[in-house]
Amino acid sequence: MSFPGVRPDRIVSKVYITGLGLITSIGNDAASVTESLRGLHHGFEAHPLSDCNGALIHVVGTIKEFQVDSTDQEDWVFPKKYSIKREVLRCLGPNALFAYCAMQQAIEDARLTPADVSHPQTGLYAASGGSPFFTHHLHERMNKVGVMRCSPLGIVASIAGTLNFNLVAHFKILGASCGFSSACASSLHGLGFAYEEIRTGRQQRMFVVGAEDCNTDSILPFAGMRALSLQSDPDLASRPFDVARDGFVGTGGGAVVVLESEEEVARRGVKPYAEVAGWGQASDGYNVAISHPDGVGLHLAMKLALKNSGCSAEEIDYVNAHATSTPIGDASEAKALKAIFSNPATRPAISSTKALTGHGLSLAGAMETAFCAIALRDGFMPGSAHISKLDPLCEGLNIIRATLPAQPHVVLNNSSGFGGANVCAVLKHVG
Amino acid sequence: MADVAHHAPGLNGSKQPFPGGKPFTPEDEAALTDALKRCSPATVEAAIKFRKTGDPAYVPPVVIGIIERFAEPDQRAKLREADDDLRIIDDLGIDSLTMMEIVMLVEDTLQMSINNDELRHLRTLGDIKVFIDCKVRGVPPPKPSRFLPIEHIGVVMPIQPPFLFLNEATVGGSGATAKYKITGEEFFLKGHFKDNPVMPASIMLEALGQLAVLYLLEGGHGEEGKQADPQTIYFTSCEGVRAHRVCKPGDTLSLSIKPKRFKMPLATFEGQIRVGQEKAVFAEEITLTYGLRDSAVEPAPETAATAPKASLPAAPAASSATPARAAVSAPAA
Repeated sequence: MSFPGVRPDRIVSKVYITGLGLITSIGNDAASVTESLRGLHHGFEAHPLSDCNGALIHVVGTIKEFQVDSTDQEDWVFPKKYSIKREVLRCLGPNALFAYCAMQQAIEDARLTPADVSHPQTGLYAASGGSPFFTHHLHERMNKVGVMRCSPLGIVASIAGTLNFNLVAHFKILGASCGFSSACASSLHGLGFAYEEIRTGRQQRMFVVGAEDCNTDSILPFAGMRALSLQSDPDLASRPFDVARDGFVGTGGGAVVVLESEEEVARRGVKPYAEVAGWGQASDGYNVAISHPDGVGLHLAMKLALKNSGCSAEEIDYVNAHATSTPIGDASEAKALKAIFSNPATRPAISSTKALTGHGLSLAGAMETAFCAIALRDGFMPGSAHISKLDPLCEGLNIIRATLPAQPHVVLNNSSGFGGANVCAVLKHVG
Repeated sequence: MADVAHHAPGLNGSKQPFPGGKPFTPEDEAALTDALKRCSPATVEAAIKFRKTGDPAYVPPVVIGIIERFAEPDQRAKLREADDDLRIIDDLGIDSLTMMEIVMLVEDTLQMSINNDELRHLRTLGDIKVFIDCKVRGVPPPKPSRFLPIEHIGVVMPIQPPFLFLNEATVGGSGATAKYKITGEEFFLKGHFKDNPVMPASIMLEALGQLAVLYLLEGGHGEEGKQADPQTIYFTSCEGVRAHRVCKPGDTLSLSIKPKRFKMPLATFEGQIRVGQEKAVFAEEITLTYGLRDSAVEPAPETAATAPKASLPAAPAASSATPARAAVSAPAA
């Protein structure tokens, strides 16, 4: 890896996805996730989330093989292949544990050496909402027995930057690092800015990480804003674009996407999953929590992403929609998609994989980018599951209900977050 | 983030026989057992006995058991074989944050509170044992040990390079420890032996003697208003000397001395040298003669600023001589 001696802004490198790590409700590695995406197997289980009045929410996109419901990390159970020392484990919330495991997978998947990982030209951008579970525990304990009897690592295990603190320290990252906090758009923001780091030659390789806890503290509060599905049937709860959708199903997990420059891909002789061709972002300027009814911010974000990547709307084969299964959000995205893909002859296939995974909040952007990368490498487009009656608002959009065994060449991935933040990334097939 | 049992917060020292200030109930015992669930059964047993009787004899096994629980498994053997000179951070690899976890569990188990300032000075297993023992008995802990870098040693010692065999030292109330790395550049190694440099046993005894001198000068020994006068300290005798190991260039000698008795003008110490975990030299008694002077006459310099640095030996071990207490201070936010 060389250190460019010329002005960074004059360098333009292509950016590739060369590795993935996935701990998700639909599989804990790329192979099982691929199988779930192709076969439309969801990751939901009946799992009551209770407040003081009892259980209100009944379905969660659970993370299998991980038992992380204790506030004592040494009680946790997780797959043996991830051996983690106590001094590392004590700093992790459940989200950081998922991210840690996904990170190990991604490093292995991209065939990176320790010297590649710990290098001044390798950085890490991460996104999570922190661990409300540990924040809750820490504050409760602080009020009960005093702050001097709280874990000294309580802060780093719980606040929003916990992923970058932990992963940068434990994987000895030497390049750029920071966290992104735009709620459900966070890890796609991370991907966009990581792309910029490589495209402009400031970094040669970036890890993009998204992870969230998967428990009452991280999910149930969304019921307060009436955003969660109250369905008790795991096969019906998450159904983006269906006319009867009634809110999202919460999930957690971790996803890591490895981005590398052309130079590194050539030097290491690896075959990328896909190319990141560009991205765009724009804001609604409308409401703190509700999407703009016409999807103006998302529309502009998609337009800018297409422009940035040099692609036309006609070239897009597949869109991984943000659609979380909320009545307002999905409608708003449908309008934005209609405005972009106005030519009925070249309508792309559209699906929301949240019908299978649930909504991973900050995790969503990185996780769905990984899904798109898998679809581009393996040549298929995952269907939009659980639609029994398509919302009439979606008329004119090609929302695929079954997986298409066809090779997409250019795909869009959307993410929208609170405050009306919208991000769109463009990925391309590598022949 | 282990939840630990907690009963009466803020008790400083204990009111025996119940360290918690109230009878030890079966609920307390269940909470204690849960808090110590990752400790050895012997630790739990000792903790329960301590809480029932307040007998300080149970404190060391509890403290060592708790430290063991937080040490990485591959480090635990060291703790079992350790003497009181085992350094918690340098030898066991326990960092300052883990040290806080240890303290919290000790506090909860023994029903006492320990503040950060007290914690900062505890470097060795012996420091911790003595400190906790004093807390339990409700007597003031001894003066904390102090780390002395080579710059400080060079300024206070009457012995100077090339005949000074201490790179860094820690002096406390109960004794002193020091390090010396054999560089191979020591002038006498040219002839001891021909084509086979070996640290002379007599020089290793000399190094122990020098550490005893440092203890006399820095250990706070003396009468009110008086302190040991560096111009009056001389070697008088040694007894029961055994050399166990050949020491060569590259070896780092870990020296320690403990005072055995003081009877003006004589001060007698026990001394030993290790290389890693291996015994190198043991001396049952090293006796020095010394005189006192008024403390005010010529106070020992406080800083290294006045040290004639150019005359000091190149000391590789001293490069790591940042005061150890820095390692125990709170991390940056």
